[in-house]
Amino acid sequence: MNVLKVSKLTIALFVLPCLLLYVCLVFVPIIVSLYTSLIDWNGIGESKFIGLENFKDLLFHDKVFWPAVRHTLMFAVFSMLEIPIALFVAILLSRFVKKPNFLVSSYFMPVILSVVIIGQLWKTIYNPASMGGMLNQVLEWVGLGSLQQQWLTDPDIAMYSLYFVALWQYLGYHTLIQFTGIQNIPSDIYEAAKIDGAEGLKADWHITLPMNVPIFKISIVLAFIGSLQSFDMIMVMTGGGPGNATDVIATHMYRMSILSMKYGYGSAIAAILVVVCLVATVVINYGFNRLERKYT
Amino acid sequence: MSQSTHTAVLPSIKPQRKFSIGKTLMWVLLAILLVTQLYPLLWLAIYSLKTNEEILSGQFFALPHVPQWSNYSAAMESGNYVKYLFNSLKVTLITMVGVLFLSSLVSFAISRFKWKYGQAVMVIFLIGMMIPMQATLLPLMIIFKNLDFLNTHKALIFPYIAFQTPIAVFILSGFMKSIPHEIEESAIVDGAGVFRIFWNIVLPVSVPPMVTVCILTFINIWNEYILAATFISSERLKTLPFGVYSFVSQYSVNYGAIGAFLVLGALPVIVIYFLLADKITKGMVAGAVKG
Amino acid sequence: MAKMNMKSILGLVLTGSLAISLTACGSNSNNGGNSEASNNAGATNAATEKPASNEKITITFQNIYPDPTDPKHNMMKKIVDQYQSEHPNVKIELDSLNTDQQKQKLKTQAASKEVPDITIVNPAAQMQPYVDAGLFAPLNDMVEQNGLKDTFQDGVLDFYTFDNNLYALPDGNNIGVVYYNKELFEQAGITKTPETFEEMVEDVKTLKAKGIQPMAIGEKDTWTGSFLFMNVLLRTNGGPGFLSDVVAGKKTFEDPAFVEAVDAMQNLIQAGAFQEGVTSFDYNAGENLFKTGKAAMYYMGSWATGGIETSEAVKGKVGVFKFPTVNGKGDANQFMLAPGSAFAISADSKHLQETKDFLNYFMLNFPKEAFAVKGAVGLAQKVDGDFKAAGYSDMAINVLDLFKEVKGGDLAFDNTMNPGTAQGHLTSIQNIFVQKKDSAEVAKEHQTAYESNK
Repeated sequence: MNVLKVSKLTIALFVLPCLLLYVCLVFVPIIVSLYTSLIDWNGIGESKFIGLENFKDLLFHDKVFWPAVRHTLMFAVFSMLEIPIALFVAILLSRFVKKPNFLVSSYFMPVILSVVIIGQLWKTIYNPASMGGMLNQVLEWVGLGSLQQQWLTDPDIAMYSLYFVALWQYLGYHTLIQFTGIQNIPSDIYEAAKIDGAEGLKADWHITLPMNVPIFKISIVLAFIGSLQSFDMIMVMTGGGPGNATDVIATHMYRMSILSMKYGYGSAIAAILVVVCLVATVVINYGFNRLERKYT
Repeated sequence: MSQSTHTAVLPSIKPQRKFSIGKTLMWVLLAILLVTQLYPLLWLAIYSLKTNEEILSGQFFALPHVPQWSNYSAAMESGNYVKYLFNSLKVTLITMVGVLFLSSLVSFAISRFKWKYGQAVMVIFLIGMMIPMQATLLPLMIIFKNLDFLNTHKALIFPYIAFQTPIAVFILSGFMKSIPHEIEESAIVDGAGVFRIFWNIVLPVSVPPMVTVCILTFINIWNEYILAATFISSERLKTLPFGVYSFVSQYSVNYGAIGAFLVLGALPVIVIYFLLADKITKGMVAGAVKG
Repeated sequence: MAKMNMKSILGLVLTGSLAISLTACGSNSNNGGNSEASNNAGATNAATEKPASNEKITITFQNIYPDPTDPKHNMMKKIVDQYQSEHPNVKIELDSLNTDQQKQKLKTQAASKEVPDITIVNPAAQMQPYVDAGLFAPLNDMVEQNGLKDTFQDGVLDFYTFDNNLYALPDGNNIGVVYYNKELFEQAGITKTPETFEEMVEDVKTLKAKGIQPMAIGEKDTWTGSFLFMNVLLRTNGGPGFLSDVVAGKKTFEDPAFVEAVDAMQNLIQAGAFQEGVTSFDYNAGENLFKTGKAAMYYMGSWATGGIETSEAVKGKVGVFKFPTVNGKGDANQFMLAPGSAFAISADSKHLQETKDFLNYFMLNFPKEAFAVKGAVGLAQKVDGDFKAAGYSDMAINVLDLFKEVKGGDLAFDNTMNPGTAQGHLTSIQNIFVQKKDSAEVAKEHQTAYESNK
């Protein structure tokens, strides 16, 4: 239980500056786009109120929407599956490496690179062998030529190729976050555990994992945000194609509101996105509240 | 916070020679990761010296035939490197300070004050946590038009702060909740006020999550282009991503110059980051000791 | 327990003032950076009454020539600088963006009625929504006052004219042509350029058999394949106007001419005309295959001429030919027409008169400067000058000759249809590059997209 009893003025001084800014620039725009999802508007000219028509089209007639939702959620799932790997790397780094900072920082580098470059780099990896694609060439050299794929243009594979780029790019990011968490676990806990006979990986299982639960929560939330907002990378690599094979919610929204000039419809997609965010936030928080209660 | 006293010591294990195979495997793994994660930088450096034809031919391992240093002069002069770098640094720094300051105030209120609406405020922040900035482009445009913010850095800094606060509040309040309540109880006994508890006790302990927030903010802001391109029109106010995209024309892209510009753009960041990496980690730990 | 004491109040005051001073710092530094901007804004507001001739004004010129290593950018800069030195009271603020970003920015600006003084739009259907919303100022008086209108080629301004009002001035006017690499044709033993589509498909097979990449395209950008497909349709339809017939309700997409066009297009694709992984190649990567001599043919708008002729690898080896007839249908002298992106003026411009004056000056000087930087192929304006003497390549002159033979044609799909249908079309055509489809099915997809976007 929180203990500090303070006056309303104090609360206002602490909360209002941030809350006002946030409400005006994030919350109000969301409400506005909820409203625009109810109109038929090309974004420029006349608009017409059409109720839930956009949602009806979107949920029941749009052939691209549900696959896009699936891709987005899969994106999130893959990003989350990466977290245990990041944790493992972080444990190795903090346990066995004397000066881990250089490695942590190095692993982190891909995150700060511009998506323009990431796109170019991975295209030279994924291209067909005849176009100098590294992956296919390597497969050829090692005698696995039969495994060669059209990594970015086979509709069944392209999405996975994109997931992988994201996994690669964000591995260091999650490692850094997990690493920071581990750094803040007091060492006397480990020492106490040692006396009880828990050492090495066993200590990690009983101490590092539960102590890092709040950090997992942060990682998972960030992974989810990253997946929902994965837009630039897909635009650079495939543009959502071939056909709509690699469209996610964000690219579909862009295609609709900007390219197709159906602003109302795009807003309906945004509204669904908000709902997905809400559900995800609730689920993640609920799940972790239980976990945290269990371990703290 | 007594338990934190020893945090500074890493839980390192004494040399265990018997696991040498495991250790070798570990070093192999770490080395592979180092190569895959750092290789892009080398690749970028090579890329920035190539001609367009060499880049577009997509040969992964190829070196430039003749190093194209002219890409760098194009990036320096035509890409307005210095001006854009300055603007990017300014916008990013102000945003970081703003995010840290505002969100730590709110987080403190949510996690330590005894008041009815703490949870409600938290929920409001959580709702916006995952919203992509692009989805609010048009409403923001209208708001900034009325505030006369368009074509000023305010039109970037304010939304950047606003969009970063949810995750910052989420991280900071989560951390502040874990600080034992005895500390403010004893502080109150000592006669310390709310502000002193916040500034002298809670903030110093919260350095580690604040560093995390800083890093997240930086990542999200540094390469941001959509808002910047929409709200900024004047050359002298533009940020680094404009420099990158300035080499993209309707029917041609000057990839080499983009590469050079990105090298120049990443350089100060990498240098600062590696110089500070030790300090950052030390800061994280030192913060914890102070409690 | 914790009642507020003096100290904590002081503390709070401190926090507050810190916050205020921080904000002040922030806004100070902003103001420092923007003093010019706010002065201008002030001037802008004042100027609404009646601009005195020596009053400082700023005109925002949004454009899509951001690349300083691109001749078009320097040409723009040169004319702007000239104008500014002749009109010291006018400052032209260049907002140079890449094409995608400019489109998105303009749409956001248009939605909030904040269109810059000069902006860039695409012709016909693409600019229609802006015109309908009354966002652009008519330019009739401006093009007539000093003969600017007559510098434009006949008919090109029609694509920017709605209800007899002209709303934008194009920077280019191009046609779709097939570039080919003479050397690679020779290697494959092909002695003449194809005159029918069937010959072209045969040539593709011949080239392929010799291990030469027959054609290149950057189909990630989707409009590229659409542009080619529309040329096929222009032939199978026996002439222009298929899409306008659809809009007029006289035809549907399930018309035999359309299905035939899809069939022909699939024949070309299935013959192995295009490079592997074609849908991940953007425009530049696709064009680069041709420019580096790795592909034998390249169908594109004539704007590509400049880039191709300056490429070392294919210098002097490239020729052009007209897109052939398909199944004996159509006229090779009908081309895909590509009137370029165009400069429009905001109806709400605070300095309408000055902006018109500047754009007039800009367009009058445009052909001369473009000619000088060898960018005059595919201009919307007439150019006086001896191309040969000015050092234009043989290929460029070939392209210019083709222009003289143009007997009408069609516009690109997205310049004729509404944006929603266009997106459906682009996706549908991109799909047939990846896998063979039933042509009737493709036609049906189009019809569905059209009906749901009416």
